[in-house]
Amino acid sequence: MEQDTKTRTALSVSGLNAWYGESHILHGMAFDVAQGEVVTLLGRNGAGKTTTLKAIMGLIEKRTGSVGFDGVETIALPSNRIGRLGIGYCPEERGIFSSLNVEENLTLPPVVRKGGLTMEEIFDLFPNLHERLYSQGTKLSGGEQQMLAIARILRTGAQFIILDEPTEGLAPVIVQQIGRTIERLRQKGFTILLVEQNLRFATSVADRFCVVEHGKVIDTLTKADIDANADKLNSYLGV
Amino acid sequence: MALNALFSQLLIGLINGSFYALLSLGLAVIFGMLNIINFAHGAFYMIGAFAAYFLMASAGIGYWGALILAPVMVGLAGMATERLLLRRLAKMDHLYGLLMTFGLALVLQGVFQAAFGSSGLPYPIPSALNGGVNLGFMFLPLYRGWVVVFSLIACIATWYLIERTRLGAYLRAATENPGLVRAFGINVPLMITLTYGFGVALAALAGVLSAPINSVRPLMGADLIIVVFAVVVIGGMGSILGAIITGFAVGVVEGLTKYFYPEASSTLIFVLMVLILLIKPTGLTGRGIEATQSSVAPEATETQGKERVALLVFGVVAIGLALLPLTSVYPYFVMQILCFALVAGAFNLLIGHGGLLSFGHAMFFGSAGYITAHAVKVWGLPPELGILAGVAACAGLAALAGAISIRRQGIYFAMITLAISQMMYFVYLRAPFTNGEDGIQSVPKGQMFGILDLSDTTVLYYVILAGFILGTLAVYRTINSPFGQVLKSIRENEPRAISLGYRTTLYKYVAFILSGTLAGFAGSLKVFVVQNASLTDVHWSMSGEIVLITLLGGLGTLLGPLAGSFVIISSQHHLAEFGQWVTVLQGAIFIACVLAFRRGIVGEVARLLKISL
Repeated sequence: MEQDTKTRTALSVSGLNAWYGESHILHGMAFDVAQGEVVTLLGRNGAGKTTTLKAIMGLIEKRTGSVGFDGVETIALPSNRIGRLGIGYCPEERGIFSSLNVEENLTLPPVVRKGGLTMEEIFDLFPNLHERLYSQGTKLSGGEQQMLAIARILRTGAQFIILDEPTEGLAPVIVQQIGRTIERLRQKGFTILLVEQNLRFATSVADRFCVVEHGKVIDTLTKADIDANADKLNSYLGV
Repeated sequence: MALNALFSQLLIGLINGSFYALLSLGLAVIFGMLNIINFAHGAFYMIGAFAAYFLMASAGIGYWGALILAPVMVGLAGMATERLLLRRLAKMDHLYGLLMTFGLALVLQGVFQAAFGSSGLPYPIPSALNGGVNLGFMFLPLYRGWVVVFSLIACIATWYLIERTRLGAYLRAATENPGLVRAFGINVPLMITLTYGFGVALAALAGVLSAPINSVRPLMGADLIIVVFAVVVIGGMGSILGAIITGFAVGVVEGLTKYFYPEASSTLIFVLMVLILLIKPTGLTGRGIEATQSSVAPEATETQGKERVALLVFGVVAIGLALLPLTSVYPYFVMQILCFALVAGAFNLLIGHGGLLSFGHAMFFGSAGYITAHAVKVWGLPPELGILAGVAACAGLAALAGAISIRRQGIYFAMITLAISQMMYFVYLRAPFTNGEDGIQSVPKGQMFGILDLSDTTVLYYVILAGFILGTLAVYRTINSPFGQVLKSIRENEPRAISLGYRTTLYKYVAFILSGTLAGFAGSLKVFVVQNASLTDVHWSMSGEIVLITLLGGLGTLLGPLAGSFVIISSQHHLAEFGQWVTVLQGAIFIACVLAFRRGIVGEVARLLKISL
């Protein structure tokens, strides 16, 4: 059973190009994410990792190529339709709404599938949120905000989660907590696509690593390859 | 007895406050979601009242039906407007939205005026609310009480919808980060359409409520909307509740003023706005929304180092104009074009090079006209001193108005200058020396410098032309000076200019004074062409006309104002027989310029020839 789901492709990106205005950012980005897999996009600043996520979510207007999700071609779909297909998106810098309290933030994303986490399960994962349910969203600490940003997309029933730098600017103990959360989500069968700068964190949670440079994937490593290729990775990511 | 009068003024204040609250609430809701100051709000308010009138006249549907149907109909029209027009501007500077809705307001009001004239159509009070009750201390007409109570309920319901419901949460979230909300699977573009529809439906609701009190008139919303802008500036755009409370409060204060000092009642709101701005520049509940960069950057072409071409072309045009008296062209017509070109040039200095949209330049144009006309006619000053007086007065006025408004950017600056200019309008309406509605007529032309007889048409023409050339060269000199370069950098990126060490506020302030002074110069010159000074020149529609001339001619171009002035003034001359349809046409030109023609005539030509004009 486990084996069976692993082989099915959840997300398939190929020949993806994207532009911000005149500047061409993604140049034929291509990678797959299998069902139940945790994949991390690694790369230097400005390589196009975040842009890749935004292009998948349809948040970049000028994009060409192919993004298939669950067998549906999404390149021409508006962003709200893509979200409805069952992709939960947690953006860079978390995107917590300051005019909404924690509860409103948590319940904002509409339920798109059955089988999302219940509020009890969410509070079980993130007890802090329960205590601060009526605080203003942006009054939470950075770590709590990150938990809130992850929690709110788990409620929707989306089985495919996109996390853009979930550990950015967080204390080590919080990073560990986020790592454990991702591990639990994987066990629950979620498929996760991550962008990470924190290599140590990424290697602890991900199954596979796509190295991004100049807007395309230049190398793919599995978890098993990491130790053998430490030098190579350092040369990819080192400044 | 006196107490009775006090209470009835209070009631009128509350009723006006109800309309202010409903309208500013709609403006705030629309602003939150679309970042547009909806100038057409007053027009939708008017259409709401007309919808009620039509429903009764043609379908026999009375007040209660209209109270629901009219807002729905207007709301649908608003949604179509958003879809067809406003959406195209969504990614552009917010000021374009203001300009677009201004054009829309002109079109809508013009159409209704052409069809129904300016007088009011009666609308009966619903029979259930006829009569009134004696409260002991005053007589309360039932309908008026109903308006206040119902408006309050509508306001609170709107507040609840936005602040306490799930739909409201979507709305608030989408105001902050529309992209993310959309990625969650919510159809944000649809929400934007619905929000605009809802906002104008609130305006239409206010229109239906006001129909039995104020009768149904095509221009009922035109002046009201400017008062509401002032209310919005006072309250700040930050909060829904702020809009409601400020609306009612301002209405009550206005009512009290009518009792204690009626002469000041129409200017009071604007004075209040000025005071609040001096104390708390963001308004009572304002948050720092305008921190986002906001200025109309004309879609400039890359023409570095080719500025002299513009000067060359200007020289050729000037020579052509100088030869004009040899032809059979009617000189008074050209003189008017030149005066309007000069005031538009002054305005262009501010917007095209400083990125500041002033919606109040009529106050300089008109004030200078009044001062010059008065100085020449009543004090008997020679023309040159009359002009000097007008220009000096405008410099002073610009220094004052600038001190109040310059700290605010973008649409706030536009609204504040509009409100100050409207305040000046009411001052001139009341001031004895302006003769109110009549204006100052048959101003003598006199002898300039004792030698130039301005009653000779050719002499007058050359004086006006000299003034125009002088003024335009002053603009050219200003924008091509180091000062102008700093101004440009402020327009492109004010925070960066600040970080480079420039006191940007000071630069903008000086630019504002220069622009106001020059606009005044144009106004003073015009007195000798038309030989009168009237309220038309200080009215907000004149400010709109100045904006239109500049926009049509080409923002940030040297020759644009002349081209725009030529088109607009000749269309007014040739189409004068069509009455209000000229307004409609001007509104349509506004919309067309904003939608598809943002470079303007000269800007487009310059782009085709790859030069700077």
